[in-house]
Amino acid sequence: MSENILVIGGGPAGLNAAVMLSELGVNVALVERDSFLGGNPKKFKYKFLFPDMQPADNVIGELIKKAESGGNIKVYYSSEVSDFKENGKKFDAVIKSASGSETKTFDSVIVATGFEHFDPARDAKYSYQLFDDVIDIKDLERMMGENNFVRPSNGKPPKKVAFILCVGSRDRHVGNQYCSRVCCTVSVKQAIEMREHFPDCEAYIFYMDIRTYGFFEDLYWKAMEEHDVQIVKGRIAEITSGPDNTVVCKGEDTLLRGPFEIPFDMVVLASGMEGGPQSPEISSKLGIELDEHGFLKPENVTLSPFKSNKPGVFLAGACTGPKAISDSITEGAAAAMNAYTYAVKNR
Amino acid sequence: MALEKHESRPVAEKGEHIIARHLIEDENIKEEKNLVIDGVDVSGRWNTFIISRVDSEFDRSFFEEIKKTVAGSRINRCWQCGMCTASCTVTPLYRRFNPRAFIYMMQLGNLKELKKYIDVAWRCVGCYKCSQRCPKQVNPAEMMEALALVIKKYFPEEVETKLKLDEEVKKIYEDMIIGHGRLDLAKLHTSAMQKSGRTKELLGKIERGAILKMAKDGRAFSILKLGKPHNWGSSRKAIENYLHKLNTIENGEAGV
Ligand SMILES: Cc1cc2nc3c(=O)[nH]c(=O)nc-3n(C[C@H](O)[C@H](O)[C@H](O)COP(=O)(O)OP(=O)(O)OC[C@H]3O[C@@H](n4cnc5c(N)ncnc54)[C@H](O)[C@@H]3O)c2cc1C
Ligand code: SF4
Ligand code: SF4
Ligand code: SF4
Repeated sequence: MSENILVIGGGPAGLNAAVMLSELGVNVALVERDSFLGGNPKKFKYKFLFPDMQPADNVIGELIKKAESGGNIKVYYSSEVSDFKENGKKFDAVIKSASGSETKTFDSVIVATGFEHFDPARDAKYSYQLFDDVIDIKDLERMMGENNFVRPSNGKPPKKVAFILCVGSRDRHVGNQYCSRVCCTVSVKQAIEMREHFPDCEAYIFYMDIRTYGFFEDLYWKAMEEHDVQIVKGRIAEITSGPDNTVVCKGEDTLLRGPFEIPFDMVVLASGMEGGPQSPEISSKLGIELDEHGFLKPENVTLSPFKSNKPGVFLAGACTGPKAISDSITEGAAAAMNAYTYAVKNR
Repeated sequence: MALEKHESRPVAEKGEHIIARHLIEDENIKEEKNLVIDGVDVSGRWNTFIISRVDSEFDRSFFEEIKKTVAGSRINRCWQCGMCTASCTVTPLYRRFNPRAFIYMMQLGNLKELKKYIDVAWRCVGCYKCSQRCPKQVNPAEMMEALALVIKKYFPEEVETKLKLDEEVKKIYEDMIIGHGRLDLAKLHTSAMQKSGRTKELLGKIERGAILKMAKDGRAFSILKLGKPHNWGSSRKAIENYLHKLNTIENGEAGV
C-alpha cells in the first residue's frame, strides 16, 4: 500500500514537492485555491526570471506539466482544506471544491501556501491607485509578460522611469520590519529589461540599500555597467502629479544632502512580500505556529526550516518568509523528503 | 630660532594663492601676514599652512547624553534613510535645515559640524510630517527638539547673540507700531540688518536693486508720505495697556 500525502498550495514549492513525491510512488493530493497551478509567478505572468533571465516557462511551465500529466498526483483546483483533524499520527482532511467535499486520511502534510504581494495602496504616500502611472513590480512583471509595457495613462512608451525600493518592507509604519529579499533583484532585472526594449528610456533606482545578495549582485552590476541605470540614495516621501502628465517624486538625496522633486513618466514601486491572509488561516486550521512577521514559523529556522512545530506537518517555500524560486523549489524537495520519511515510519 | 613679526610690508589676502581656495574654509588656513624666521622673511604665502580636515574622532559620549533625554531617546534607531528630510516642510525653504544630517551629526557627536547650523537648527515648525513617515519611528520631530537643547547647552554664546538680536528687532518693531501706528518695512529691514552687523550688505547690489524698484513703482514715496493713522492716541493707549497687562501676567507666572 502506498502512502498518501497532502500538499497545500500549487506554487513552485508545492509543485516540486508533489512531483518528487509522485516519483517516489506516493499518492499526492495537491490542493490549490486558484483555478490554475504555478502560484504567484503564473498569476502575475512573470516572463523572464532572475538570476539568468531564463523564460519562466522553463521553470514553472515545466513543473506544471509534470504535475498535471497524471502520475500519482491528483490536483484539486479552486479548492481548500475546509477541515483538518489529527488522527493518531495521521491526519483527516476535508477537501472542499466546486464538485463537493471529500474526506481523506493522510500520512503527512506539506504546507506551501506561499506569499501575497504587499498592496502599495496601504502606504498612502506613494499615491498608488491615485495616479495611473504609479505601478508596482508585480504590475510591471505582468505588463512585460503581456508585451504591453507602456504608460497606463496614455499608452505611450515612457521616457523616464523611477524604481522605488523597500515599499512595504523595512518600515515600522506599515508593520513589516523585514527585508523582502527579492525586490532589489527584481527591480534591477526589470530595469535591464526595460533598457533593452526601450534604450531611450532612462531608469533611476531610489534606494536605501541595494540587497542583490550572493550572485544576484551580477545583475546589479550589469544594470549599471551595461545599461546605464542610475542609482540615487534616498527614500521617497511623497508622489504627486506634475506638469505634462508626469508624476513627481519628492525625496532627499542623502549623499548630496539635499531635497529634490523630480518628475517621471512612470514610477515602479518595489513592493515586498507578505504572509498574506492565508498564513494565519492555515496556522489556525492546522494548529501550527505563526511567527512575528506574519509568516509560518519553522520548528528551528536553521536546523529544520522545512518543519512546522507539529510532527507530520512540513513547510516549504515563501510561506515561511520571502525567498527566490530556487529556494522555494529546494525547500519543496526537502519537505517532500521529510514528509515521506514521516509517512513511511508511521505506516 | 628667532621669530619676528614685522608689520611693514603689505601682503595679499589670507590663502589667496591656494589653488581651489574656495574649497577650504577660512578657519582651516593658518597664515601669518608678517613673519621672519631666523632672519628670513617668510611672510604671507611662504608660511601658509592648511589644517587637515580629516575627522579623527567619533565622540560617543555625546550620543549617550542625547539618548538619555526623553525627546532624543530613539537616536540609536536612525539609519539615515532621509525620509524625514524628504518630507520636511522646512527643508525646501532652507536647504541647510536637514533633520537627517543633524541626527547623524548628533549620533557621531560631531559638534564642530553642528555648530555651522546654529542659525537654522531651530527652524523646525513641528508639523510632524517626518515622524509620520520615518520607517524606524525615530520621531525625528522630537529629535529636532533635542537638537535645539543641545545647541543651547553647547553653544550658549552663539544662541545668546541670536536671541538677543531677535529681542532687539522685536523692540524696533514694537516702537514702530506704538510710536507711529504703522509698520515701516523699509526701516524695519534696515535696522534689523544694522543690528545683525550686515551694514555692508545694505549697500550691496540686491538692496540697491530693491530700493530702485520701490522708487520706480512708487512704494518708496508712499512710505515717505504716510502719516499716523487717524486718532492714533487712543489706539496707542489701548495697545500699551494691553502689553502692560500681558507683562504683569507673564511676570506673575514666572514668579518675578
Ligand atoms: C514581483 C516578483 C518577481 C519575482 N521574480 C522572481 C524571479 O525572477 N526569480 C525568482 O527566483 N524568484 C522571483 N520571485 C520570488 C517568487 O515569486 C517566489 O519565490 C515563489 O513564488 C515562491 O513560491 P511558493 O510556491 O512558495 O509560493 P507562491 O508562488 O505564492 O504559491 C503559493 C500557492 O499556494 C496557493 N495557496 C495559498 N493559500 C492556499 C490555501 N489556503 N489553500 C490552497 N492553496 C493555497 C496560492 O494560490 C499559490 O498558488 C519574485 C517575486 C516577486 C514578488
Ligand atoms: S530586497 Fe531590497 S527592496 Fe526589497 S526589502 Fe530588501 S532592501 Fe528593500
Ligand atoms: S526618516 Fe527616520 S530613520 Fe530615516 S533618516 Fe529620518 S529619522 Fe532617520
Ligand atoms: S516636524 Fe520639523 S523636522 Fe519634521 S518635517 Fe516638520 S518641520 Fe521638518
